[in-house]
Amino acid sequence: MEDVKVFSYKQMISSKKNKVIKLTGIMLLLLIATFILSMNLGVIRLSPWEVTKTFFGFGTHKQQLILFDFRLPRIVIAILIGAGLSVSGAIMQGISRNPLADPGILGINAGAGFAVVTFILFFTRVANQSIFLLPLVALVGGFTAAILIYTLSIKNGAVSPVRMILVGIGIGMLFNAFILLFQMKMQYHQFMSAAIWLAGSIYGSNWKFVLALLPWILILLPYALYKANILNVMNLGEQNATGLGVMIERERFLLSITAVALASACVSIGGGISFVGLVSPHLARRLVGPRHEYLIPVSAVIGSILLLVSDMFARQLLAPNEIPTGIVVAVIGAPYFLYLLARSDS
Amino acid sequence: MSVITTKNLDIGYAERTIVKGLNIEIPKGKITALVGGNGSGKSTILKTIARILKPQNGGVYLNGESIHNQSTKSVAKKLAILPQNPTAPEGLTVAELVSYGRFPHQKKFGTLAKEDYEMIEWALEATGMTIFAQRPLSSLSGGQRQKAWIAMALAQGTDTILLDEPTTFLDMAHQFEVLNLLKKLNSEQKQTIVMVVHDLNHATRFAHYMIAIKDGKVVKEGKTIDVTKPDILREVFGICADIIYDPKTGVPLVMPYDVICDSSKSHLHSLKEVAAL
Ligand SMILES: Nc1ncnc2c1ncn2[C@@H]1O[C@H](COP(=O)(O)OP(=O)(O)O)[C@@H](O)[C@H]1O
Ligand SMILES: [Mg+2]
Repeated sequence: MEDVKVFSYKQMISSKKNKVIKLTGIMLLLLIATFILSMNLGVIRLSPWEVTKTFFGFGTHKQQLILFDFRLPRIVIAILIGAGLSVSGAIMQGISRNPLADPGILGINAGAGFAVVTFILFFTRVANQSIFLLPLVALVGGFTAAILIYTLSIKNGAVSPVRMILVGIGIGMLFNAFILLFQMKMQYHQFMSAAIWLAGSIYGSNWKFVLALLPWILILLPYALYKANILNVMNLGEQNATGLGVMIERERFLLSITAVALASACVSIGGGISFVGLVSPHLARRLVGPRHEYLIPVSAVIGSILLLVSDMFARQLLAPNEIPTGIVVAVIGAPYFLYLLARSDS
Repeated sequence: MSVITTKNLDIGYAERTIVKGLNIEIPKGKITALVGGNGSGKSTILKTIARILKPQNGGVYLNGESIHNQSTKSVAKKLAILPQNPTAPEGLTVAELVSYGRFPHQKKFGTLAKEDYEMIEWALEATGMTIFAQRPLSSLSGGQRQKAWIAMALAQGTDTILLDEPTTFLDMAHQFEVLNLLKKLNSEQKQTIVMVVHDLNHATRFAHYMIAIKDGKVVKEGKTIDVTKPDILREVFGICADIIYDPKTGVPLVMPYDVICDSSKSHLHSLKEVAAL
């Protein structure tokens, strides 16, 4: 007689996996659509046909210039930063079990920004010439902020989510005050470039920026995905994770570094963009549940779409003038944050 | 034979020492109940045995080997712990939770092997949770949720399971369901079970062995029938109780009657008085 199997975990997982793959596929299409739309909008418009033509090398010189030198790098940067900040947020939420964690809200971005502004002030020439240094400089600031937040939010050996957020907001304000102080000391042109950069404008993007950011994303995103299993188990709390054989302190350290490095690298190129790291993991969780092997890639794609759309609005809303992308993101993100804050009960 | 031994364990939080010079032995293949008042150190001891807390001094030995000298993953293959009030992220299904029990056995990248699938399905079946496999944990009752967590510990495939108050906050029927499940695992799978329980009559009914703790020290350790004595209960819990024995099984039943021991108030006395009438 044949054995009738009532439940197969393998089947359950593979059907879930298929669902996630389909969903990711749809979202990638959405990303491509946004991408095309984004190309088509701007002070100088390129139709999808012109874009395609130019893309394969059949455009006019002017079209090539617009597409390859202005439009494309900016779009690629938006995609990379959206993905990077989202995964950074997903990791932070995972290791702290704090649904409100986001590199912007926690002041990591401000720390990284402070380091970059300091660097611009004192080493203006080096900063302009070696953009590759900026992520590293930002990292120093990001870590300083992270260490401060961590030590200040521990109370009786435990870190309460809301306390962590409050400390983070405080640290962010502190760094922002320092940034302002430094800006006062700047020359006008330094000041302007710092101000635009700080507000989160991907306005001056070119391929050099893409190249400065790309290696960080290419290394850290797969690394985060590789740690998905550990993040899953850490979500059950420290005691369960230890019981299951996770070296909790080591993993938390490595994952914190990953999250801070991702955020810092994004900030050094894109400026202070908050809330992406908060919003996209939340949306992703609603779509695919709490497991990080799904959560990480889906948040990354959502973040990319979010930033690309925001950047589109930033360019269009008051055209020909531009609004910093970070402000557009905040208009969507801040209410969402308040909504989550109102819902959290501790 | 004992599966877990502690040697001169000192345990504390920060400066404060809670447990001093603890030597206990947990017999292999038996159910052991850890009993004691609130704040007596039961959770502290359990967590230290499961390497969640580092002892200030002394060591914990699993099958004669120090747990501090082996990788935490290899300990996780031999020893599972279910902490008090565990929480899972929103939206996690029962089957997914149970699959996390395979963590210590998985290779890098977390792919599951045939054996992993079998263990997950077996753990769901053994706890009667198969029908709830696809349900989110948050949609279950307290008792079902507790069984899901036990299923996760089972999927870990260890010989020993530690449980911190697995029946607290459950109604009577669910308490017995969980305890009967543990009993079945012990008798059928020969699993060693160590549990913290508050209800003494559950301890006497389900545990072969009992360790009574007060202020971080062992007051009495031994067979359930030897630990369940009025003088020991008075010392450990500060209660006065009569003990009667189930005529069918010989299991001791504790009948507490007061916090101040006054033999004239004893329940047995009143029974005699009733009989005399
Ligand atoms: N994280 C902690 N920090 C400081 N003291 C603690 C902590 N956890 C428990 N204690 C103290 O240790 C003692 C024993 O607690 P515990 O082991 O939880 O007792 P039980 O589980 O028997 O109720 C109590 O006095 C408690 O206040
Ligand atoms: Mg306890």
